Amino acid sequence: MHLNGKAYIVGIHEHPTRRADGVTTAQLHADVALGALADAGLTLDDVDGFFCAADAPGIGGMTMAEYIGLRNLRHIDSTETGGSSYLLHVNHAMQAIAAGHCNVALITLADRPLAAGAGTALAGIDMRNMPDRPFLAAVPPGPLFGYAMVAKRHMHEFGTTSEQLAWVKVAASHHAQHNPNALLRKVVTVADVLASPMVADPLHRLDCCVMTDGGGAIVVARPEIARSLKRPRVKVLGGGEALKHPDGGRIDLTYSAGVRSGAKAFEEAGVTPADIRYASLYDSFTITVVMQVEDLGFCKKGEGGRFVADGNLISGVGKLPFNTDGGGLCNNHPGNKGGMTKVLEAVRQCRGEAHPAVQVKNHDIVLAHGTGGSLAGYHVAGTLILGAE
Amino acid sequence: MATVPNRLPNPDRFPDAEPYWAALAEGRLMLKRCPSCGQAHYYPRPHCPFCGAAKTDWEASSGRGSIYSYTINRGAPRPMAVAIVELAEGPRLSTAILDADVHALAIGSPVVLTTFPGEGGQPIPAFTTPEAEAARAYGKRARALTHDVRGVTAADAAPLQRAAVVGGGNMGCGIATALLAAGLPVVLIDQGDAAVAAAVQTIGRNLDAAVQRGKATADEVAARKAALTTSLRLEDVAGCDLVIEAVFEQMALKREVFAALDRHADPQAVLGTNTSGLDIDQIADATARPAAVVGLHFFSPAHVMPLLEIVRGPRTGARALAQAMQLGQRLGKTGVVVGVGKGFVGNRLMRARDEEAHRLLLEGALPQQVDGVLTEFGLPMGPYQIADMAGGIELVHRVLTEQGRPEPVLSRLVAAGRLGQKTGKGYYRYEPGKRRAIPDPEVAAMVADASAEAGITRRRITDDELRDRLILPMVNEGAKLLEEGVAARASDIDVVWQRGYGWPAWKGGPMYTADRIGLAAVHTRLLALQAQHGERFRPAALLAKLAAAGGRFIPDAD
Repeated sequence: MHLNGKAYIVGIHEHPTRRADGVTTAQLHADVALGALADAGLTLDDVDGFFCAADAPGIGGMTMAEYIGLRNLRHIDSTETGGSSYLLHVNHAMQAIAAGHCNVALITLADRPLAAGAGTALAGIDMRNMPDRPFLAAVPPGPLFGYAMVAKRHMHEFGTTSEQLAWVKVAASHHAQHNPNALLRKVVTVADVLASPMVADPLHRLDCCVMTDGGGAIVVARPEIARSLKRPRVKVLGGGEALKHPDGGRIDLTYSAGVRSGAKAFEEAGVTPADIRYASLYDSFTITVVMQVEDLGFCKKGEGGRFVADGNLISGVGKLPFNTDGGGLCNNHPGNKGGMTKVLEAVRQCRGEAHPAVQVKNHDIVLAHGTGGSLAGYHVAGTLILGAE
Repeated sequence: MATVPNRLPNPDRFPDAEPYWAALAEGRLMLKRCPSCGQAHYYPRPHCPFCGAAKTDWEASSGRGSIYSYTINRGAPRPMAVAIVELAEGPRLSTAILDADVHALAIGSPVVLTTFPGEGGQPIPAFTTPEAEAARAYGKRARALTHDVRGVTAADAAPLQRAAVVGGGNMGCGIATALLAAGLPVVLIDQGDAAVAAAVQTIGRNLDAAVQRGKATADEVAARKAALTTSLRLEDVAGCDLVIEAVFEQMALKREVFAALDRHADPQAVLGTNTSGLDIDQIADATARPAAVVGLHFFSPAHVMPLLEIVRGPRTGARALAQAMQLGQRLGKTGVVVGVGKGFVGNRLMRARDEEAHRLLLEGALPQQVDGVLTEFGLPMGPYQIADMAGGIELVHRVLTEQGRPEPVLSRLVAAGRLGQKTGKGYYRYEPGKRRAIPDPEVAAMVADASAEAGITRRRITDDELRDRLILPMVNEGAKLLEEGVAARASDIDVVWQRGYGWPAWKGGPMYTADRIGLAAVHTRLLALQAQHGERFRPAALLAKLAAAGGRFIPDAD
């Protein structure tokens, strides 16, 4: 059953902080929840569906529901797929609304890994109990090495270059200069990226996303409610999710689960990659973006490096403007999870409310995509296609 | 310097996988194969993840595979690449490639299984390269060969009973510590109560460290301390069958001490001198028993470093040499017998390298580039990291100045009070309390100033040129040592550099590495460097001969 148009994104909020000293994670969840509801013109009492991931303190969503003050909940979902969780939450919210389980769904993300000194760990997730861990004990934890191996293999298979990867960062920095809240607002060049220290070959420091505290929230509502509100309407045209894992040793680093999540979302939306005017692409590392432009069908497999080069991702310059808030590479990657901010900037673009310097002209159809976990191992991709109405 | 423990955490164990761990303990990797669908999988589980069959069979993997993808882990305390390895049996697994030349890896490179102990000693599966395995096997054979010394058998020497150490400085204390830890009673002799008291304190601290590291019990250390006596009189070397002199490195002083030792030491005693470069024969000449005198070149800290250069003077007797070799074994050190020559074996190669490093600084390199090339090559530290850490900047400067050949960059460092880590800056700068060497623009300015003073226009020097000009002179110097007979065999040079200077076991040694490069190529490169930079690069005759004949320094290393 196609759910195209069965739900709308009616409110969003991105926490302006990038380092949250002196505030609790719970309060950050409440801050972003209230911000998104205010943006929508709704109240706590209007919320009857709550979606959060393991960054929410307490058990599932129940503890945060009480803390925030949600007392009319009929539906709760604490799907955790790492950074892509919030793309899945929007998709699940649409499904729940279409099935009549709720009318107004609130989705929150908040964490403070910097203030807590937690490094690249994901809140609430214990990797030590993974059954493969003892047999892979020589592999250091953290996402860096896996993505570096994806990049190395991509270069080996397709001739992708470090210069091409660097262009992803360059484009993000061109956008971030216009975002007063962005962590890194300085415009960088390909040479800057290549001159930054090598952290895990072939990835340089500037090939990696920022680490920030903060969060964001999204309010999804049924069409009748959306139409009663004053904000520009953003229709969920299609959603897809897909999983990929090491499959007992049949590891293939050349593609991601985005191949399947994207196909499903495009099919549901009834559009093709050529129709997309703006894309929020997961940018934990520059290679992540290259993989996604291929897997989502913006170019053929193997041509992602050439596709992202020469400013092709820069708004007003290239064919596929991406991450016009500066993305995870320059703006914000709260809690080491980039999926929330991907949805937020896609909604701003779809509303025509992005910064004027980066707002795309024709913004009727936009895409947001995220990958949670590691492209080199277990990951879940979520794709959303949104349309202006 | 690594601040991270050199161990990987012990893996948790899950039930049903005992055959995997049992095999791994014997160095074998186990896979699971499904009898129903025939598919193999990694990591093990009771059922088949492909067809769902309830039972799967264990199958021994060849332990061989190739690299599907990899990335170097620059933060690791040992050479390490994170990798996905494709086993010969098909499955790919995430793993690490350890203790190998990770900079020479490529997708498709062959790798072989190895295991490394976790924190609790449990084996952890990882991979290494066939080249690294071959180099390690060579290293073992090379160490065994050091026992093979013409005309001498260590086992024939009477067991040592009691030792005297003359001189309670850092080296003397380290040597005394090593002797006590090996169960030998020691009398430590120095001039003045204060010197002796300080030495006893240092030795006590050294011995205590063994308890903290879990290498000895408190009782054992107490017994070692009780076996230490002190004296202010050289007469008290009487009753010792081993005397090790460790006074200041000065010929006149050493000769004076040996003349006294000759008067007081037992007739059968071995008289060892801890020198890093003086002529043993001149020292022996101060005695009426030159056959009893042998050089014992310990490396600092002497109770830690595993190398002992045993210097055989022209008149050193077989008995003294056998005793010295036995001493090396008793101390758990690798004793390598070398001949007399400036810097013996180890320092001679190091000097060739370091003097070239200084020239490279003047021509256009910076300390971090020199050190970076050498650490990427596989050495634990480069000369400038060593200089900063060892704290010898002031001393080396003084010695070079006395010799009338001050080193211009070094002079500038000393003038600016940059004496190494202990002063927070040297060739690098250091954050308070930290040991990470941070490149310093101030040093870059000093180096540029020194170049200008020398009338040299600085140029960009490639890493390849740096590597050649730092490593090949070591090889060439090694060839000269063989010609001169200072080193008995090329593998001895490699052992010295592995045990005393941190040449990685996975790379064999300088001579082994030269063989891998190919001596014809080494020879050609040296000739080119000679044409460009002068006589110091002239290939040694032995090297030229071997290169022409298609020979090797170590013909039987494969």
